[in-house]
Amino acid sequence: MQSDFLIIGGGVVGMAVAYGLARDGQRVSVLDESDDAFRASRGNAGLTWVQGKGLGMPHYAELSLDASLTWPAFAAELEARTAIDIEHECRGGVDLCFDASEAKVRQRDYAKLQLSSRHLAQHFRWEYLDRQALQTYLPGLGESIHGGTWSPHDGHCNPLHLLRALHAACRSLGLEYHASTPVLSLSPCLNGFRAATPDSEFHAERVIVAAGLGARNLAPMLGLSGTVRPVRGQMLVTERMPRVEQLPTPQLRQTATGGYLIGDTHEEVGFDKGVSLEMMSCLADRAVRIYPFLRQARLIRAWGALRIMTPDGAPLYEASSRYPGAYNLNCHSGISLAAFHANELARAIIDDRLEERWSAFSGARFNVPAHC
Amino acid sequence: MFQRIAESSVIDGVDIQLDGEICRVPITLSVAAAVLFIKGDADYRRHVDGHARAPFCLMGCCHECLITIDGEPNRRGCLVSVAEGMSIERQLGGSQDDG
Amino acid sequence: MGELCQAEIAIIGAGPAGMAAAIRLTQAGIRPVVFDMGNAPGGQIYRQLDVPVIGETLSGTDYYRGRDLLGDFSRADIDYRPRSQVWWGQCESDGVSLGVVDAAGVSRWHVKRMLLATGSMERSWPFPGWQLPGSMQAGAAQILFKEGGLVPEASPVLAGSGPLLYLLAWQYCRAGCAPQRILDTTPASRYRLPLRYLRGAWQGRHYLVKGARMMLALKRAGVPIHHGVEALEATGKHRVERVHYYWRGHWHHQDTSLVLTHFGVVPEPQLGRAIGIPYDWHEGQQCFLPERNRSLQARTRVWVAGDGGGIGGALNAEREGRLAALSMLTIPTNDVADRKRERRRLEQRRATDLAVRPLLEAMFRLPSHWLSEQPDTTLVCRCECVSLGELRRAIEQGAAGPNQLKAFTRCGMGPCQGRECGESVTRLLSTVQALPPQEIGYYQVRPPVQALSLGELAATATDA
Repeated sequence: MQSDFLIIGGGVVGMAVAYGLARDGQRVSVLDESDDAFRASRGNAGLTWVQGKGLGMPHYAELSLDASLTWPAFAAELEARTAIDIEHECRGGVDLCFDASEAKVRQRDYAKLQLSSRHLAQHFRWEYLDRQALQTYLPGLGESIHGGTWSPHDGHCNPLHLLRALHAACRSLGLEYHASTPVLSLSPCLNGFRAATPDSEFHAERVIVAAGLGARNLAPMLGLSGTVRPVRGQMLVTERMPRVEQLPTPQLRQTATGGYLIGDTHEEVGFDKGVSLEMMSCLADRAVRIYPFLRQARLIRAWGALRIMTPDGAPLYEASSRYPGAYNLNCHSGISLAAFHANELARAIIDDRLEERWSAFSGARFNVPAHC
Repeated sequence: MFQRIAESSVIDGVDIQLDGEICRVPITLSVAAAVLFIKGDADYRRHVDGHARAPFCLMGCCHECLITIDGEPNRRGCLVSVAEGMSIERQLGGSQDDG
Repeated sequence: MGELCQAEIAIIGAGPAGMAAAIRLTQAGIRPVVFDMGNAPGGQIYRQLDVPVIGETLSGTDYYRGRDLLGDFSRADIDYRPRSQVWWGQCESDGVSLGVVDAAGVSRWHVKRMLLATGSMERSWPFPGWQLPGSMQAGAAQILFKEGGLVPEASPVLAGSGPLLYLLAWQYCRAGCAPQRILDTTPASRYRLPLRYLRGAWQGRHYLVKGARMMLALKRAGVPIHHGVEALEATGKHRVERVHYYWRGHWHHQDTSLVLTHFGVVPEPQLGRAIGIPYDWHEGQQCFLPERNRSLQARTRVWVAGDGGGIGGALNAEREGRLAALSMLTIPTNDVADRKRERRRLEQRRATDLAVRPLLEAMFRLPSHWLSEQPDTTLVCRCECVSLGELRRAIEQGAAGPNQLKAFTRCGMGPCQGRECGESVTRLLSTVQALPPQEIGYYQVRPPVQALSLGELAATATDA
C-alpha cells in the first residue's frame, strides 16, 4: 500500500490537509483512531474566530485574520462538492466582558496587538461596545453584562458538518480512509515512511502527523516536537430554541438547529474529558446571565473535550530536519484555520516549503532538541 | 381514542385546564394520559419537522410527550401527574405539515 | 454548590428490585434514600398498585402479587423520594456523587454506596411509520390501562413479539376491546422450541402455561393471530390509518387507527453508562448489559439489580434486589452465617427462575437484520428525524462508529439522548461492517441523564 502521503489523524486538521492534498492529485491515506478517541474535532464550539487570537504572537493573529477571509470560498467549495451544508456564517462576533476591569484589559490587549503589526493595524477591525450598543447584535442580552469587543471577522460554522464534508470530499477524491487503525510507531524506511498499526503496516513517501494529542508519542519518533498538552473545555448544549438573530460569542452561540452551545472553560486536568458539576453549574449560570431567557431552556447534553495546546498556544507546523518528508501539524484552531490548512498549508507541504513559508510556526521556537 | 372501562374502580376527578378549556379527569392519570383521554393522539404535539407526534412509551424514555405544564415548556407529560387547577398547553406551533 | 446531602446508601428506582433492596437494608438497620421517577413505588410492573384502578380479573394475578412488596416498602423506614430524578452521577474514591432534580430544584448528594435499579425500557424497533400518532408501544398501552383503566375506543392491531404482546391482548379481551388481530413476528415453529429446551421449559412452566392459556383465550375470542410476520409498516396522512404486514409471501393491509407494538425490553442504560459502568453485548438478550460480578456489583461502590442489569422479570428483580442489599451490607454482624444461608437460597431461586430465559430468548429472538432491511425513509432517530438512508450515506462517507455517525447526522442528539436510537445504530453498523455489536460499541452517554433546565442548574452555582 504505497501512497504519496500518510496522514496520521482523521480529525479536522488531518482531514483539511488531506483534502488539500487529494484535490491536488496526491494519493493520500488517512489512518484514524477508533470511535471513542479524544477527538477535539467533535467537541468544539464551531467558531471561526479571529479576535483575541495571537495576543502574544502577531503572526498568529495575522494568520487567523487571513484564514477567516478565505473561509467563505472554502465553505462554498466543500458544499458544492458534497452537498453538505456547513452552516458557515461570517457576520461578525462579540467576545463578552462581564465587568469593567475585564473590558479595560481586553481593550488594552487589542490595541497593543494592533500596534505590533502593520498588517493588523490596517486590517484587524474591532470595537468595544457597551451593553446598550450590543443589544442590536445580541438581542436579549442580560443586565449584568458590561459589554464586549465586536469584530466583523468572526463567524461560526457547524464543526461536525465540516468534519463530515471533509470526509465526504476526500472520499470522492479517492482518498483511502482507515478507521480504528491506531498507529503504534512511525519510522523512516527505504522509500519514505512506515506506520505500524496493530494489524498491518502502511507505507508512503511522506508522512504528516496530525494526531492532536497523539503527537506526544508519535511526533518524537520522527524528530518532531511532541510538546502539546490537553486543556479541557466543558460544553453544554440546550434543546432547540426559536431562532434569534444573534452574533456568536466564545461564551455561547445559537446553532443553526436552534440549540445554544455554551462553553469556554479552560482546565488543566490532564487526559480527562469528563464533566464536573462545578463547571456545568458555572457555565449554566453564565449562560443565563448572558441571556436570561435561557433560564427555561432544557439542557440536552454536557461534555468535556480536550484542546490540543502548544506551549505558546499558537499552531505548530514543522518539517523534520532529521527525516525530510515528515511533518507535524498541531493546533487548537482546527476550525478557524480549516480553510488555511486545506489551501496554503497543503500547498506548502506539497512543495516541501513548510519551514520556509511558515517559519514563525516552526517547532524551533520551543527549542526542541535536534535529535532524540 | 381512549376510554375508561366500566369495571375500573371509582377514582376521584380533578379539574385541569387543557388549552384553556376546563376538563375533569381521573386523578391517577399523568398529563400525557389525560391529554390522550380528552383529545386523543391526533393533535398531541407538533414535532420539529412540522409533523404530528404523540406519546410513544409513556415511561420517560422517548420524549414524544413533551408538553407545556403550568407555563413550563417541554416537560415530559408522562412523568407528571395531573393536579387540581393545573394548566396544560399542547405545543402545536411550528412549521406546518406540507406533505 | 448548595447544601450537600448525605446518605449511606442510595437506591435509584423503586420497582421490584429497588423496593426489595430497600426493605432488606432497613432490616439491617440502614435507612436508604430511594430516588424514584414515579409518583408512587412499584416501578412499571406494579404501577398504580398502591391504589389499584383495575381489578385482578383484568390485570391478571402477577400484578396483584406485588402488593406484599408494596406493603413492606410502605411500612419500612425508608427515605423515599418520589418524583425525583438523578440527572448526574460520578464515582469517587469515597462514594458516589449524585445530582438530583425534583420539584424543589436541584440538590447534590454524596452516598457511600449506590444501587441502580433503573429497570428496563421497551426496545426501539424501527419500521416505516412508527413515528406516526396512533403507533405506540404495548408498554404504553399497559400504563394507560393500569393508571386509569383506559383502553382504546376502536379495536387496535397488536404487532411484534414477546409475552407482553399476548398479555396486553388478553387484558384487552377481558376488558371487552379485543384486538383486531395480532401480527406476531415470531415464526410459528418457534413455539415448538420448549420441546428442545426441556429443563428451561420445566423451570419456566409457569410462563409457558400462562402463555398457552392466553393464546387459547385469544383464539376463543376470535382474535386472528398471524405467526411469522416478516415486515411491518404504518401509514396515514397525519396519523396511523392502516397497517401493512408481510406475511406468507404477500403484503396484507388492515385499516386501524392504533397499532401497539412490542419487541421485547432492554435495560435503560443512561445512568449506568454515564457513570462509566462497562456494558457488554449479550447475544441471547440481543442488547447491551452492564458488567456485574456474582454479587451484582458493577464497579466499586455501585451495584445493579433488576431488569436494568439484564432482563429477568419481576420476581428475579426482587431476588436481585435482596442479593445486592446483602452484598452492600459491609458492617460485620453476628448473623454472618444467616446471611450466607439467605444469599445461597436467593441465588438458588434466582438460578431456577432464570433457567427459562434461554428458552424465552430463543423463542422471541428478533431478526438481527431487520433494521438494515427497512426502506431508506424509515426514521431511526425519532427526535432529530434522521432516516436510515441518511445514516447509510454518512456511513459511506466515513462515519465508522456510533459517535462519529452521531456527529455526522445528529442521530441521538435530540431530547431522548439516544435512548430510542442507540442500539439501532449499533445494529446497523454491525450489519454494514459485518462486525459483532460488541466491537461496534455504543454512544458515549453524558449528563444530564434526565432533563433539567439551565435555570435549575445555574441555581446550584456558587457566586464566582
